[in-house]
Amino acid sequence: MSRRAVIAGVGHSAFGKLPDQSAWALETEAIAKAVSDAGLAPRDINGLLTDPGPVQGILEGITPHFLRLGAQLGLNPTYTGSEIVGGAGSVAIIERAALAVEAGLCDSCVCVYGDSALSSTGAYGYGRGDESAFGFFGAVGLHALAARRHMHEYGTRREQLAEIATAAWAHASRTPHAQKRRELSIDEYMAADPLVEPFCRFDCCLVSDGAAAVLVTTEERAADLRARPVPILGHAQAHSLSTYASAGHFERLPAARSGPVAFGQAGVSPADIDVALLYDCFTIVVLLQLEDYGFCKKGEGGAFVEEGRIAPGGSLPVNTSGGLLAEAYGGGMLHVIEAVRQLRGEAEERQVEAAEVALVSGHGLGMNTHTTLVLGR
Amino acid sequence: MSETTAPPLPQPDAHTRAFWDACKEKRLEVAACGQCQHLFLPPGPCCPQCWSTALTTQPVSGTGSVYSFAVYRRTYHPGMPAPYVVALVELDEGPRLISNIVGCEPEAVEVDMPVQLKFESAGEFLLPRFEPASRTAGTPDDGEEQS
Repeated sequence: MSRRAVIAGVGHSAFGKLPDQSAWALETEAIAKAVSDAGLAPRDINGLLTDPGPVQGILEGITPHFLRLGAQLGLNPTYTGSEIVGGAGSVAIIERAALAVEAGLCDSCVCVYGDSALSSTGAYGYGRGDESAFGFFGAVGLHALAARRHMHEYGTRREQLAEIATAAWAHASRTPHAQKRRELSIDEYMAADPLVEPFCRFDCCLVSDGAAAVLVTTEERAADLRARPVPILGHAQAHSLSTYASAGHFERLPAARSGPVAFGQAGVSPADIDVALLYDCFTIVVLLQLEDYGFCKKGEGGAFVEEGRIAPGGSLPVNTSGGLLAEAYGGGMLHVIEAVRQLRGEAEERQVEAAEVALVSGHGLGMNTHTTLVLGR
Repeated sequence: MSETTAPPLPQPDAHTRAFWDACKEKRLEVAACGQCQHLFLPPGPCCPQCWSTALTTQPVSGTGSVYSFAVYRRTYHPGMPAPYVVALVELDEGPRLISNIVGCEPEAVEVDMPVQLKFESAGEFLLPRFEPASRTAGTPDDGEEQS
């Protein structure tokens, strides 16, 4: 028994359009569920880390998010804070919680993502500084640049991006809380109107109201708790902050640097990953990660996703709850929760047989930030 | 044009004002490091390569190539009706910038296509946009090498 960090509880609210509940209500619900799942009580919580979504974090970010949420929960923790690193944030706060509990800064740290982006306006489609003058709005245009360049360099086709979308919808059709509960066909994808070419709407993540929380504690503390603890075997970050000035920024994600570090800590290689929960704000990001984490060679991501390889029953199931594309926009925390459910063997009809090692990633802002977790059992 | 339908305009700050002022005089200038000679955009408080603060500006030719592009088919701002092409243009001198490709149909834009500068007015600004390069017959295509 040690202070090694484990995940001991998970919980989330409903996801979808929930106009009658504030993001704060959704977040406190998710936290209460994660703490209860672990078999802990509110008084046991002495760490609070938050990943505020775009509305709370960027548009309403005057009072620090952790402060308002902590006040609502009546917490006086020994460790707290909010991370603003975009979609890399949920994995980033799990990593930070792991470091904090291992260092003894706190014992039981709850990590939460939440937002009411669907019931608010202006969460997405925001301008990018002076680039707004050129009509460069939203994360969609920036990722479209990456997709177009990949198509040019490697002959990647829209039919291959469609495979990523249809796999996500097929997984989500098996996920009770998912926003999309039916399968999507390649034909339906190909017939959709273009949005920001080369993307159509099926290349883009959903927008959601909802919150998700994960409880991180030590192996020692988790020993007599309710659920089987899921050990954090590896964690790493890598970033590319200079965007346009970096030669390979649109071609290679920082996952190529954080992946080997996290795999090394865990003593695993890509071949050992049983289930991958890859941040999927746009289809192209899944394809790039498959290459940059080393599941296939650079340029071969398009061929890799063909023939259902990442779909239910495939050799590398990716985003088994449907991900941001079809489950809900859960900031990345729903990816962590799905990894935990797979490793506990609690994923019901979407359970990957004998899942022992899971990869979870986060990716954010202008393809600038990246975070990696390797979880085990 | 009413306030709400005017397209968004640049918001020059201490570091980018010289860039936009030069544009108003139809000059495209990039930031240049006086110590390591690195050329870069956007302009900032120091050289992102060596952190020197001995910065100057350097006019560039206005020729370059399309590193990648996105065709906006949905209108995000009433002042900028779709369709239009947003491109990441790589200048022949090295720096890249987000701009638009004008003077051709969106369907005619290709990755690595040579382009040339074309200033277009927006409010009190002249925006550095790009159009397909008019190469003289017999001139070999060049200047689009990628790292």
